[in-house]
Amino acid sequence: MNKAIKVLGYSALSAALLVASACSKKEETSESPSPANTATQEVAKEDVKPASDKKVKLRVITITTDENRNKIMENYIKPGVAEAFPNYEIEFEPGGGGEDMANKLKTYNASDDMPDVFWNDAGYFTPLKNTGSIMDLTSAITADGFIGKYAVPDALKHIDGKIYSLSSGADTYFTPVIFYHKDMFEQAGVQVPTTFDELIAAAKTLKSKGMVPAVTPGKDGWGPKLFMLQQMIQIGDPQAMMDLVANKTDFDNPAVKAGVARIEQMAKEGVFPDGVANLDYGPANEMFTSKKAAMYWMFTWELPNLAKDDSVDFFPFPSASDKYDSSKFVQFWGSPLNGYAVSAKTKHPEEAVKLAEFLAMADAKFFESTGAPIALKTGNSTSEPGPLMKKFVDWYNPIPTKIASLALNSLDARTSAELATQGARLLTGQYSADDFAKEMNKLWKENTWFNQ
Amino acid sequence: MNKYFSTRMSIFVFAAPALLLFSVFCVYPLLPQLWMSLHDHDGFRNLGFVGLDNYREVLADSSFWTAHKNTYLIVGISVFLGLPLSMILALIMDSQTPNLRRFFKSAAMFPAILSVTVVAQIWVAFYEPNWGLFNGILRSIGLDSWTRSWLTDHRTVMPSLGLTFLWQYIGLNAMLLYTGIKTIPKQYYEAALLDGASFAQVSLRVTIPLLRYVINYVVILSVLGSMAFYSHVRVMTSGGPGDLSRTVVYQMYYTAFETSQFGKGTAIAVLFVLECLVISFIIQRFAAREKLEF
Repeated sequence: MNKAIKVLGYSALSAALLVASACSKKEETSESPSPANTATQEVAKEDVKPASDKKVKLRVITITTDENRNKIMENYIKPGVAEAFPNYEIEFEPGGGGEDMANKLKTYNASDDMPDVFWNDAGYFTPLKNTGSIMDLTSAITADGFIGKYAVPDALKHIDGKIYSLSSGADTYFTPVIFYHKDMFEQAGVQVPTTFDELIAAAKTLKSKGMVPAVTPGKDGWGPKLFMLQQMIQIGDPQAMMDLVANKTDFDNPAVKAGVARIEQMAKEGVFPDGVANLDYGPANEMFTSKKAAMYWMFTWELPNLAKDDSVDFFPFPSASDKYDSSKFVQFWGSPLNGYAVSAKTKHPEEAVKLAEFLAMADAKFFESTGAPIALKTGNSTSEPGPLMKKFVDWYNPIPTKIASLALNSLDARTSAELATQGARLLTGQYSADDFAKEMNKLWKENTWFNQ
Repeated sequence: MNKYFSTRMSIFVFAAPALLLFSVFCVYPLLPQLWMSLHDHDGFRNLGFVGLDNYREVLADSSFWTAHKNTYLIVGISVFLGLPLSMILALIMDSQTPNLRRFFKSAAMFPAILSVTVVAQIWVAFYEPNWGLFNGILRSIGLDSWTRSWLTDHRTVMPSLGLTFLWQYIGLNAMLLYTGIKTIPKQYYEAALLDGASFAQVSLRVTIPLLRYVINYVVILSVLGSMAFYSHVRVMTSGGPGDLSRTVVYQMYYTAFETSQFGKGTAIAVLFVLECLVISFIIQRFAAREKLEF
């Protein structure tokens, strides 16, 4: 019996040791600065140099959502980072984007293993802030003068007046448009539609000629969540869309319901290919670039890539009522929260801020090279944008009312995920606009975004 | 020596390493889950104790029941369609010449050793509505009206996922059953042949009854494997369109990671663990209770 007790005792001890060693945090070699300390810490103006010859180790999670991001890494970050930070040992981890990135950060945050620098997003900013995991960069970038490189520094500020993320500022120039192949339109005898009814008629004509009228990523409700719902409401009643973004109305609003009904109508009329609700970003892009589809509903971050094909042009979403004019209202993508952020728990706050600045600048240099407008001054002389980019800038810049994106500025994580779910269902054509509005209204009432 | 090995103490000592690993890696992780399921947790922070509210909300959520319906559909496909097909394949394999048998064995194992992502992507291409294999075949034989968007149509999305799952693992099950067949002594077959029994009669009256233990094992494997059906769904449909192809495990992932409701997600996990335990117990209790000796 005594032996059994001893064996049990040793087993329990071993189990406890195993669990303790598996679950314990990494031993800190130096005291980690508290979020409060780092948040207010003044960053020295002189160059950051480690005290010894030992290299400063930093971990970075970068956004890797599309080809642009790969190009930024290959052409701007990798070639420059070693030269810019000779005393740093930097480990880059591709973070994907959206939910993938959010899940990674949740896991790292829960295990107290946040990367020193990471891509921040409005979708997961609030819990990061509430857990003291994201640094207020205001004092650091003011002290080192980086803030002076922004054309409009106030655009970096969150509603609490603090700066949490550094971006190129290109985001605010991203808006959804309808790209199209001029030759396919000509071949089908279709004119660029200026009204929603003309858009439906054009789609029918294209379809009758054996072409896929329009394509957009529908898997995970990507298109409906990020822009389609907003566009379809906006083209009927821009004020209703602005009210929805500001939580002044809900999905019972007739103008909002009408917007949802337009998506249902398009799904039923065959504007999109069969199976669009399960169509991923890459295949959707490929359908357009390989000319299987005549139109591509996408944000202008794809414009530099698409402009390589001379047959590609774009037009704004056509109007569905007199209340909308594409030269007066437009959706913009940006959020001051989207960009490179620094963990408030990093052991090397000064170095991490410098690295975040470098990464934001790499973004800026890339987008500048495409001719896209940016808010972060690179010091390079700006090259003449291509004709399609020029057309875009000439249309976009003078638009007086730029409506913030619902997806970035009004949804908590749950509402965001459920909007995507409902949106994908709507694209099947087997789900009514009424059911969508009813379900979303229920979720909208429980949306906690505006309680912050 | 016998005395030493038959004591309770020695049994415990020999079982202790496995027991220890099982406790640390299987039982212990359940405890924080149980705790989390009683709290409002967004993945980043604990927002407070909520008692059984998460369980109440999960049980009142229609998506949870849709996920159950889908999960049990996959279980049904796997057991009632997959198992008989695996058995037929195993019987056919057993009756082939050595060379053909070698080919069948390789062919049967091939899908099972492929990565789920590879298999899922291949089948996504098969199901693609515009240029995919299935619709292409239907169009080529004049059955245009039968073509559909297999993975976005609410009537076909789950059977389509089930078929993919079936294709990947039917061969593995067939191999397990074939291995069982090989353990049956030849005398039984010789006696049946002398009595003039046909292939079907031998299979039904000799092979299948004597395979009870293996069938029991394959049933448990199929049921629990189907209940954990997730990866194919993640790659092929992401649970969509809407929530139409979510399984319970996917619903758990979606709730915890996509809607950031970790409390509710873990409540689903706890309920599902209990469900799996009950099902496993039922299978063990009612299947293959009598010991077979050849």
